[in-house]
Amino acid sequence: MDARASDAALIQRIVERDESALAVLYDRYAGMLSSVLNRILHDTQAAEEILQDIFYQLWRTAGNFDATRGSLPGWLMVIARNRAISRLRRHNPAGGDELEENTVVMQSNLESNVAQTQMIGKVKGALEKLPQEQRAAIELAYFEGLTHTEIAAKTGDPLGTVKTRLRTAVETLKKNLNS
Amino acid sequence: MTNAHPFRAEDFDLYALGALEGEEKRALEAHVDSCDVCTEQLGEAYGRIALIGLAAPQVRPSPGVKEQLMRQVVGTSTGRGGTFVVMPSKKPGMLSGWMWALVPLAGGFAVALVFLWLHTLQLDAQIDALNAREQEQEREIAQERSVIDMLGAKDTVVVSLAEQKQQPQGTARVLYNAKRGLLVYNGALPEAPPDKSYQLWLVPTTGAPISAGVFETTEGGANRIVASVPPGTQAKAFAVTLEPRGGKPAPTGPFVLLGPVS
Repeated sequence: MDARASDAALIQRIVERDESALAVLYDRYAGMLSSVLNRILHDTQAAEEILQDIFYQLWRTAGNFDATRGSLPGWLMVIARNRAISRLRRHNPAGGDELEENTVVMQSNLESNVAQTQMIGKVKGALEKLPQEQRAAIELAYFEGLTHTEIAAKTGDPLGTVKTRLRTAVETLKKNLNS
Repeated sequence: MTNAHPFRAEDFDLYALGALEGEEKRALEAHVDSCDVCTEQLGEAYGRIALIGLAAPQVRPSPGVKEQLMRQVVGTSTGRGGTFVVMPSKKPGMLSGWMWALVPLAGGFAVALVFLWLHTLQLDAQIDALNAREQEQEREIAQERSVIDMLGAKDTVVVSLAEQKQQPQGTARVLYNAKRGLLVYNGALPEAPPDKSYQLWLVPTTGAPISAGVFETTEGGANRIVASVPPGTQAKAFAVTLEPRGGKPAPTGPFVLLGPVS
């Protein structure tokens, strides 16, 4: 299996039960997912359990994924975050139907290591440009799964302030990522 | 904002982030269910918000995860390229005399087929491992080239990190090129406590410290880290802290090593 094959080609091979295609996708995206899982959970064992489970789900249900409509790394990141936050909050982990639920559109292609490294630098740069309190609010929402009300309770800031802060943060982040 | 699409672009990002709640969340869900344009906007918001995860300190999974996954998968696979045809069976009594002579031969043939199939699976696994190794080597070569280029650059600075009182004793050196956003850490520290990890930080001239990697001490205590940070980040110091296992987004533990950029 060509390690440089596109995500769409590899998904098709997985549908045809080619386990080497799954190995290529694992090598491509496991590092990225492991980082976000560890950042949310601070628990290596739990992070690795979820990581293995996500790729096994991909193996079982790849036929449901339309690579021409959505981005595979985007979908993997959304699932990883959802599962980790469910575990963090002791909710039941999501079942196996997420492939059909949400289409995740990512403008960037992250199929190569170089593209991933460049995007990591770009995202870090975009977050660094945010004022400290906006960045902290976005990180509380993303990495701890907190809602507006929960962030307000945690930081002691008024709910209205938190809402304005997060709204401005996502707006600025979008501009920074597009610049 | 229009009545047809009663949400602002940021609402989709806030929903994807999980910050919306109550009536705001329900109203957006109800509208998206019946609006293709907003469903598309929500998909884009999910993709944008997912990128935030890339800012997490990089942690590689242990090799055992992939091994377990592939064992799990091979257990459910029919093997690549294998076609299994189920033939209608015949009762033994229907075999004519001379066909009985073929039974041992057919048995031997079946054993050989099974052996061949297992051998193919083994070869597939070896090819996968070689492909993965090749990809890893390509990445390492590209990284080493960047490091070599950086070492030869005039604007690369060398920062010595000194040990701190009442902390694990060690030493380290960081080579950093702000323009390229590339740093190389070489250090030696004793083994961290089981529930702790060391974490390397770039302290910029403005803004919060940036994580440059979480690491465990290897045998002999030596570590080498190559990390990327946003190009153009001006550093005023580098530091190593002791953090809960897996690292933290901002330093919380004591400084173990610290070195200002002169």
